[in-house]
Amino acid sequence: MTAHNTTSGENIYRPAVMNIVATRDEAPGVRTMRLEFQDPLELEKFKQAYRTGMFGLYGIYGEGESTFCVASPETRNDYIECTFRKSGRVTAALASAEIGDLMTFRGPYGNRFPIEEFHGKNLLFIAGGIALPPTRSVIWSCLDQRDKFGKITIVYGARTVADLVYKQELEEWEKRDDVELVLTVDPGGETPDWKHRVGFVPTILEEAAPAAGNCVAVLCGPPIMIKFTLASLKKLGFEEENVYTTLENRMKCGIGKCGRCNVGSVYVCKEGPVFTAAEVSAMPQADL
Amino acid sequence: MSIQEHYRSRAKELLSSGTVKMVIGYGTGSTPDRRRPVFITSPDETDRLVLDKACRTNLSGYLLREGLLSDQKQVAVFFNLDGVRSLNILAAESQLETAQVLVLGFRIEGEEVTALQGERAADFKSLIAAAKEQRKSQPPHELQEKLEAMTPKERFSFWEAEFSRCIKCYACRQACPMCWCRRCVVDNNQPQWVNTSSHTLGNLEWNLLRAFHLAGRCVECGNCSRACPADIPLHLLNRRMSDEVQGSFDHYPGMDEAQEPVLASFRKDDPETFIL
Amino acid sequence: MATLLYSASLNDCIARWREDGLMVFGPSTAGGVSGFREVEDAGSLDLDLVLTRSTLKELFFPRTEPMLGYRIGKQQIETEEFIPPEGRRIIFGVRPCDAAGMQVDDALFDWDYHDAYWFRRRDSSVIFSIACTHSDAFCMCTSLGLAPDSTKGSDVLLRPLAAGNGWKVEALTERGENALSSISSLLKEGGDAPAPLTDVPVKFDLEACRRWLADPENFESRFWKEISERCIGCGSCTYLCPTCHCFDIQDEGDTYQGVRRKNWDSCSFSLFTMHTSGHNPRATQSARWRQRIMHKFNYFSLKFNVNSCTGCGRCTRECPVDMGVTETLQAISTLQR
Repeated sequence: MTAHNTTSGENIYRPAVMNIVATRDEAPGVRTMRLEFQDPLELEKFKQAYRTGMFGLYGIYGEGESTFCVASPETRNDYIECTFRKSGRVTAALASAEIGDLMTFRGPYGNRFPIEEFHGKNLLFIAGGIALPPTRSVIWSCLDQRDKFGKITIVYGARTVADLVYKQELEEWEKRDDVELVLTVDPGGETPDWKHRVGFVPTILEEAAPAAGNCVAVLCGPPIMIKFTLASLKKLGFEEENVYTTLENRMKCGIGKCGRCNVGSVYVCKEGPVFTAAEVSAMPQADL
Repeated sequence: MSIQEHYRSRAKELLSSGTVKMVIGYGTGSTPDRRRPVFITSPDETDRLVLDKACRTNLSGYLLREGLLSDQKQVAVFFNLDGVRSLNILAAESQLETAQVLVLGFRIEGEEVTALQGERAADFKSLIAAAKEQRKSQPPHELQEKLEAMTPKERFSFWEAEFSRCIKCYACRQACPMCWCRRCVVDNNQPQWVNTSSHTLGNLEWNLLRAFHLAGRCVECGNCSRACPADIPLHLLNRRMSDEVQGSFDHYPGMDEAQEPVLASFRKDDPETFIL
Repeated sequence: MATLLYSASLNDCIARWREDGLMVFGPSTAGGVSGFREVEDAGSLDLDLVLTRSTLKELFFPRTEPMLGYRIGKQQIETEEFIPPEGRRIIFGVRPCDAAGMQVDDALFDWDYHDAYWFRRRDSSVIFSIACTHSDAFCMCTSLGLAPDSTKGSDVLLRPLAAGNGWKVEALTERGENALSSISSLLKEGGDAPAPLTDVPVKFDLEACRRWLADPENFESRFWKEISERCIGCGSCTYLCPTCHCFDIQDEGDTYQGVRRKNWDSCSFSLFTMHTSGHNPRATQSARWRQRIMHKFNYFSLKFNVNSCTGCGRCTRECPVDMGVTETLQAISTLQR
């Protein structure tokens, strides 16, 4: 049996209490919140455990808990940022919470991006729509130790200009000369003053044609985008082992008990959410 | 020819002529006394069909399987009279067209299983009318009589005890031909109308809510009670509702496909005066 | 010579345990439905049942269980933890398949994260199993490599005597020994003959099934749709399964105070895996039935080295449309190339 993450007296379902210290509206229905631990011991535990790629269960008592990634990087671990779209009961409640309100966090759970293995390599980040948050967490983890990596390229697309999230950060990345940022919106989603690309992510990616040699790709997005972008990456010569992605299945416990996130024998909550494309290919595709 | 043989050969005919694409009926089960739903699509497989007094399940719910009727082809289904009535209600509630359903009708009386004349839902109108009259004079179920004699408090305790065994597996809903909602009210969480927990309150809420949703729609086929792994006599609740609906509105659900849903229609002569 | 417990002494045993502050549970029938309930005397026990309708798991993993109480203040959230009490329990008259099921779920609830709600009850319970001298058409423990006298998950195994007047008693764990020592004066020594165990025929070749299930080619076989065509998508097979452990977490109350609960949930339900976006990885009933079979006989065993089925047969016994593990695995056995 594997080593326990808990002591036997501990209640694995009890979340930590968080203060909401900042909020930012990113796009229609999409919001980012910065949370701080109320209990310094919980903060210490989080700092010990958190690595980029992990997720948590964000909650409001009376409504429930909802699963999403930690959008802030491990290099900035004295707070938690999360970005979510208002879509269900819990996210609706979170969306109406205000600075100074309390909420809960349970985690961090799951695996991580093996960032040390990326040292010395070129990095290609590809994200679609609301899936920038998990990618952003890796991007900042790498930018915060920029000298350890080669060329960094970010390809980010959304349906419309309004749907792009982290607009301030996109501007910041655009200004940096050590990052190549390729922004795109779907055809018809552009505004008159849009000066970036128009087209679907896979097409734009193929046009940008980043070199596959010594390069690791991190790809996050809706299932359909992932499917076509993987095909494009293959065309560009990327090996599945060098492409990382995240799966975001429905979860209730986050710790391998409740039984709903399984894809084949894989518990996404424990063995994921970070997988290489090769690992995803080995899963039963019909259950994804 | 036995009724089973009769229907086997009719099913074979219907399938080989291409009149229907599928026959939904009964087959042998995992023990000699069990029957299970079977779906026959080839004329060579009609020998799998069984028809005897153990065939009690109302099969109409299977007609609403996603995509089954979307190609406008016909499906034949084994139905007793309750089954035909549920077919009528499903048509009245715009869930299917009776023209797509061919009825292989039967009646179980004691040990005897007989064929019903007709193959279209409308063919059974007079039989259903007779059943309606019979329903009026039917003596109440033994347990129902006992319940009626109780004080409201005693009755409440009775149902509380019954519902305490409910495990919220939703077999009653899934087996019910009338529970066709794509998303059940209990599965809605914005707002959360019903507690999903299987505690006293949650169970009471669920079972009473379902009984109300079935008032004036239940054909008393018994699928719910047979499916319930906790042996809750759900049919008694539905039966009581049916008595009420028949007594107050002379409404017997499933007379024909044009019948208006009694609790969703309005009449000036409604006995409930408060409506006016 | 063996240690014997005569039926005539059982009432005194129960009384003794209760005097010692233990709660005694066993198979009993209420409202026509059998299950494990607390009993005060031997007369309330239904020890002749082949198997109770509901399973032993309810004593460790209730249908609905309060986990946390919460009260929201202006600058703080108070929570109260409803970790189950440590009250010691004797569970008498368990069938070996049910006892084995608890051991299956121990692996899951201890996997990296230790679930105190499960283990507080596990650690305070002593399971007295009775080997089976009767079975019915649905029993299939032998197909799962178990037997009517399996000891897995039990603390004490009782073997019925041929005369029908008691049991030969064997402690299997320290916990079992302790529970026996408190009733030692009520136990007798004797050479009474044990009753023959029931003969449960092997119904399918588990290893052949597992080979078929492990072959990725079969994942999208037409077989899954055909075998599950009549499934109505209720949760009775999962809720009456001793090893099915899936759950939901639900808050009841308002945003000021209330209770967070752990409720049974089922992979048979279409909403179980539905994403908020509307995408559902297991959108059809056949995909859900496949998941249930694959999880029990392939995935779970890969992870925990044990099948998540102990052959109690309740899935088929109680299925409204006469489906179940047995039929599916029997059919898979015949699909072997």
